[in-house]
Amino acid sequence: MPTAASSTDTAPVAREGLVAQTRRAVADVGHLVRFRTASLRRRRAGVVALGAFVLVTLGAAVVPAFVAGAGAGSGRALDLLLLLPTMLTGFLALTIVSAAASGGGRELLARDPAAVHPISPTTDHLGALLLAPLNIAWLLQAWALLAVTAYALGPELYLAQAQVVVVLWLGAATAVAQVLAWILEGVRRVPHGIVGIRALTVGVLGATLGLQISGRLLQVFDDLPTRWVVVGMVSDSVGRWALTVGVVLATFVGAVVLGAVPAHIAAHRIPQDELDVESGHHPVRRLSRTTLGQLVRTDRASVWRAVPMRRGVAVLALAPGLVALAGNLPWAQLTVLPGLVASGGALLWGVNAWCLDGRGGLWRESLPVAPETVFDARAWVLGEFLLAASLVTVALGAVRAGLPSVAELTALVCTLVVVTVQVVAASLRWSDQRPFAVDLRSARATPAPPIVMVGYSARLALSTTVTGLAFSGLANVDAWQVSVLVAVPFLAWSTARLLRTRRAWCEPVARARVITAVAV
Amino acid sequence: MTETPAVVDVRSLHVRFGEVEAVSGVDLRAYAGQATALLGRNGAGKSTTMRVLAGVVPPTAGQVLVAGHDVRTETLRVKQAVGYCPDVGGLVPRATAWEHLQLAARLRRMDHWEDRARDLLERFELGDVAHRVTAGFSHGMGRRLSVLLAALHEPEVLLLDEPFDGVDPIGVEATFDVISDARARGACVLVSTHLRELAVQSCTTVSVLRGGSAVATVSAGEMAGEEGARAYRGLLD
Repeated sequence: MPTAASSTDTAPVAREGLVAQTRRAVADVGHLVRFRTASLRRRRAGVVALGAFVLVTLGAAVVPAFVAGAGAGSGRALDLLLLLPTMLTGFLALTIVSAAASGGGRELLARDPAAVHPISPTTDHLGALLLAPLNIAWLLQAWALLAVTAYALGPELYLAQAQVVVVLWLGAATAVAQVLAWILEGVRRVPHGIVGIRALTVGVLGATLGLQISGRLLQVFDDLPTRWVVVGMVSDSVGRWALTVGVVLATFVGAVVLGAVPAHIAAHRIPQDELDVESGHHPVRRLSRTTLGQLVRTDRASVWRAVPMRRGVAVLALAPGLVALAGNLPWAQLTVLPGLVASGGALLWGVNAWCLDGRGGLWRESLPVAPETVFDARAWVLGEFLLAASLVTVALGAVRAGLPSVAELTALVCTLVVVTVQVVAASLRWSDQRPFAVDLRSARATPAPPIVMVGYSARLALSTTVTGLAFSGLANVDAWQVSVLVAVPFLAWSTARLLRTRRAWCEPVARARVITAVAV
Repeated sequence: MTETPAVVDVRSLHVRFGEVEAVSGVDLRAYAGQATALLGRNGAGKSTTMRVLAGVVPPTAGQVLVAGHDVRTETLRVKQAVGYCPDVGGLVPRATAWEHLQLAARLRRMDHWEDRARDLLERFELGDVAHRVTAGFSHGMGRRLSVLLAALHEPEVLLLDEPFDGVDPIGVEATFDVISDARARGACVLVSTHLRELAVQSCTTVSVLRGGSAVATVSAGEMAGEEGARAYRGLLD
């Protein structure tokens, strides 16, 4: 008598309910987080970083309240209080751009290794939400919001209740941004979706610029619903404050839950832009006349054909430039932008530059070419990538800045050159010291693990901002030669570090370590 | 016993990665016009030995001569002499197959290489995808392109690491042809694989590696059939 189930049998299928599925998805986030943290090589550094994060956050939330003029109800404190609704909206805009540019946010586990596990899109959504703060732009904006709130209110009783609302806002804005990012990613993945998203982006930018040019942007800022949040956070009425907390908290919870829906929809669609790159035919180009030229061409193709690089650099080049354009930044302040853009550009791939070749690294290393030439090509391609993005930003910012003085122009040119060399040198040094095997196919991929990326971005942001501010000051000095004189030691220092990394790359054992690490 | 000098001459090769000794005392000699298979279980040191021969990984100790050049001191000359198909991937993900060929031709200073490249692409049934980026290739397509790239410049030493892994019968036949052609023009061929039958079919000599060192070198015939399978298992244990 047969005992095995027949194909015609209607076997009862054990179906998990929605609650059980959600519970399982949440539990899986914990499993993945533990898996990722277990692979951290420098645990002590992780603990120190966490301690530093808590300290800086507490410092930002409290210390400015005790600075002279804080909470005065007039002057700068009042100005900042009035600006707070706009800053809350700005934070939301930043998180939307960040999540949308990275295709729905970062992954707890990269796509290929995750493919063999039953990881639900809900887990993926929650993981992306969890990783969103591990981004220097998010952290700086969050700290700035806490600090501005503290300064605007001073050491009053209001401060604690206001900071509670600000922290909740950070979470709610991030969760809402995540929902929008999943929706946009879902749209991108339908036929012609990419064109639709581009049209939407142009439309939003055009509308913003139109409002700015017509002088109505300030009115829009004044009418923002975030004013209601700011009024609630400083309200004398406990009921009003509690209502504000409730609404922001409900927004956070609602967005976290709701985000799973578009995450599931997006996960069931094929990423069109990756498909276009991988299935499209690329026209043949003639051989380059030089070895360096051919290597540069290969590296350039690896960069510009990668979805995360193209998308990331577009956002990096355009966003600060448009902000500068809308804000009518003067030339002296434009010097801060190239450092910001170059740092962001390096974080797209430069900090792990040898991962560009992926598993092809072993084959490339077997080709008869001097390692110096390979290094020069990679450094050149990284440099031009960063410089191109910075130039677009500066060009946009320059539209309304008027004619620069010779000193302003010299300071800006010096900044562009100095920060580019500075960032290239730092990126290639880190690429050599800590290579990671990563696949940069997906828009969600990052060249290094999230916690490492935070470290890199903090260090880059610090060094390039200091450089930008130095030249910003020099732009106001009449003698243009001063900028050039100051640029020389900056350049000499960065070039020396770049050459030291180049020498290290030429050492066969060290190079083999890097190649075999990225080619796994 | 042949009296001709070995094209690949490995003596007491050691490769260490930190605490791990991937290769511990491999001795190996391979000759012009012959194909030598490196057989062994996973982690036996086959791929690391191949990487050393390709000039990709420097030896920690021992002497390695490839086409008369010391891999430690004349790495560039070694790279000029070899054609290498790595075990993993071996392809730049966002470059097309043709761009791989262009890069190899440029760096090897090859003239009039296009006709041979097109011929090889057709033989490996990759002609239709020559202008697509390799990230979209299947595993088998990637393997076939890797073999093709290793053979493009008709190297003095052809190093094929797991060339049959996941490859369909047409790809296997094309790889056999590449090995035969290389032997016919007097090249020295080394094939690292864990597929004994294919190794026996394509090679003249078999070296078995175990635990990072070579345990036996026999003629391919001795590793053929059921008898060869038993002998091979005996060497692995």
